[in-house]
Amino acid sequence: MDTIVAAAALVFQPYVLMVIFGSAAFGMFVGAIPGLTATMATALLVPVTFFMDPVPAIAAIVTATAMAIFAGDIPGTLLRMPGTPASAAYVQDAFALTKKGVPEQALGASLVFSALGGIFGTLVLITSSPVLAEIALKFSSFEYFWLVVLGLSCAVFISPGSPARGLISLFIGLFAATIGLENPAGAPRYTFGSVELMAGVQFIPAMIGLFAVSEVIRGFIHRTDPGKPPKTSGRGIISQQWQNLKRYPKQALRGSVLGTAIGALPGAGADIAAWISYAVSKKFSKTPEKFGEGHVEGLVEAGASNNGAMSGAWIPALVFGIPGDSITAIVIGVLYVKGLNPGPMIFITQPEMIYAVFIVFLLANLIMLPLGWIAIMSARKVLSIPTRVLMPIILMFCIVGSFAMNNSVFGIWIMLVFGVIGFLMEENDIPIAPAILGLVLGPMLEQNFVTSMIKSQGSFIAFFERPIAAGLGIFTIAVWMLPLMLLLLRRRRAGRTDAASAN
Amino acid sequence: MRVTDLTLGILTLLGGLAIFWSARNFQVIPGQSYGAGTMPRAVAFVTVLVGLFIIGRALWERRLALGMQLAPWARSGAALGRVAMVLVLIVGYVLVSPVLGFVPTAFAVMTASMLILGTSPLLALATSAVATVAIQQSFGRLLLVPLPRSDFLPFLW
Repeated sequence: MDTIVAAAALVFQPYVLMVIFGSAAFGMFVGAIPGLTATMATALLVPVTFFMDPVPAIAAIVTATAMAIFAGDIPGTLLRMPGTPASAAYVQDAFALTKKGVPEQALGASLVFSALGGIFGTLVLITSSPVLAEIALKFSSFEYFWLVVLGLSCAVFISPGSPARGLISLFIGLFAATIGLENPAGAPRYTFGSVELMAGVQFIPAMIGLFAVSEVIRGFIHRTDPGKPPKTSGRGIISQQWQNLKRYPKQALRGSVLGTAIGALPGAGADIAAWISYAVSKKFSKTPEKFGEGHVEGLVEAGASNNGAMSGAWIPALVFGIPGDSITAIVIGVLYVKGLNPGPMIFITQPEMIYAVFIVFLLANLIMLPLGWIAIMSARKVLSIPTRVLMPIILMFCIVGSFAMNNSVFGIWIMLVFGVIGFLMEENDIPIAPAILGLVLGPMLEQNFVTSMIKSQGSFIAFFERPIAAGLGIFTIAVWMLPLMLLLLRRRRAGRTDAASAN
Repeated sequence: MRVTDLTLGILTLLGGLAIFWSARNFQVIPGQSYGAGTMPRAVAFVTVLVGLFIIGRALWERRLALGMQLAPWARSGAALGRVAMVLVLIVGYVLVSPVLGFVPTAFAVMTASMLILGTSPLLALATSAVATVAIQQSFGRLLLVPLPRSDFLPFLW
């Protein structure tokens, strides 16, 4: 109880509350602009949070991302331009409702069920993470090795797109993580005599480059401004959702549970959760033919799912120090910069910090309702800000943010290099999230791998000798086999259809 | 700017081999057979496998084209020019800001980029001026980031 009081004292301070409101507004704004993602909101926010204490810093990131993921639904609904990838799954339905003249229904369902999913995910986070942390205390380098590999594998094999391209992205990140002096032998690697590279690739400028600068470059190429959105009346945005909840209670719960579970899987985040939940909703629906034509059912389930995933992603991040998605990867990078090492020990040494994070999560999901309402009402104004004015300002933020990390222009060079790499990767359909996970988890992977190899004197069998390590190892290998199994299943099904049509 | 699968595979393979080759002289931990080279070699090994897989798949599916397929935007000289300008503006900021200071350089970079994107000159000048002062005050004064100083508009510092 004392811990909760101490945690509340950390959060309910005028400064922290001000940060929460400020970052909520910022997250709403960034999420609502098509092309600016929730991850980009985090990337742009990090240089500012660098100057804050840990609690307000985490509060800023949590609130901004929760808001951005909801706000991504606004341009999706009004203009059919999903603001974040997590909103892309159900954009068809949401836009169809706008065409029918009732965008409030879609926006209201997204808002209320996003908040419900987020609160559900937070409750799971609150109840499960201390228990998992107790188990994690018994983990040795073998278990950590497998957990890291599992996280990286999920990012590659579960995300949409080709696993081979996901692997290329991952190895770009892992290679970048090998640069510098921080390695088991303490020898300089790939530093080319540069003193600045000895500290390794600075994580924050690299991330700003990958997520924000690459987007700015794309903005310079396409120069598309969103069109003028239709008017929203604001009637029934929240009140109508009571009926939706009564009509679709199972869907809301299923979306929340599945979203939280997918989020909790290291390496899979809100966008994957939304796609899977939308597909599940359609599969189990009594009226699957209505999906895509302005049906609220899928919106309820996938909307709850993507915000549930956002909270769920924090479970592996806080308990094991292994990010659940690219946003928590950024957060873990920030926590390390601040000297806080996420992992089970933080539950023992600084439990008030953990409870403060829980309180922030609940607050963020609660203030989402009023702020989301305001965002919907002001959507017309926000969406009419031309991107041709915004992109140059974002570019300057990126430059100053990358400089501010070490007060050195070297950060800007790193940002530029990774911006170009990120742009080229996206042009070639190579996903970016595995690279950022590789960059963050590379040192942890190396440390646990080398320690385990030394302990086992080079024997790989030792990686399966402890029961939890064996379980994690087998699960990881199953994830590797997933694409192969899916391929075989598809071939078999195709073979059957061919045979049936021949008959 | 999309490279063909076969090219991507070859590039990945070469990348893996280069990492492998460069890691050959990394030190080991004294008394152990593992050290600074272990991780780069493991990364290189899997990268080579991925490269071979992509090459093998491209050959199997008879997609033998090498080189790059240009995206529609890459055929437009204007779009390529705009991309080049973003990079030039960033490099320009790094080189010029220590001499001229943050305020004039940031103002120039933002105004130039807005003009490149087709914003009207008046709006570009006004928004860049407001954004420059806002960024300078928030990062320079509030967060105490030592942005490059200038004698231009000294009252801002």
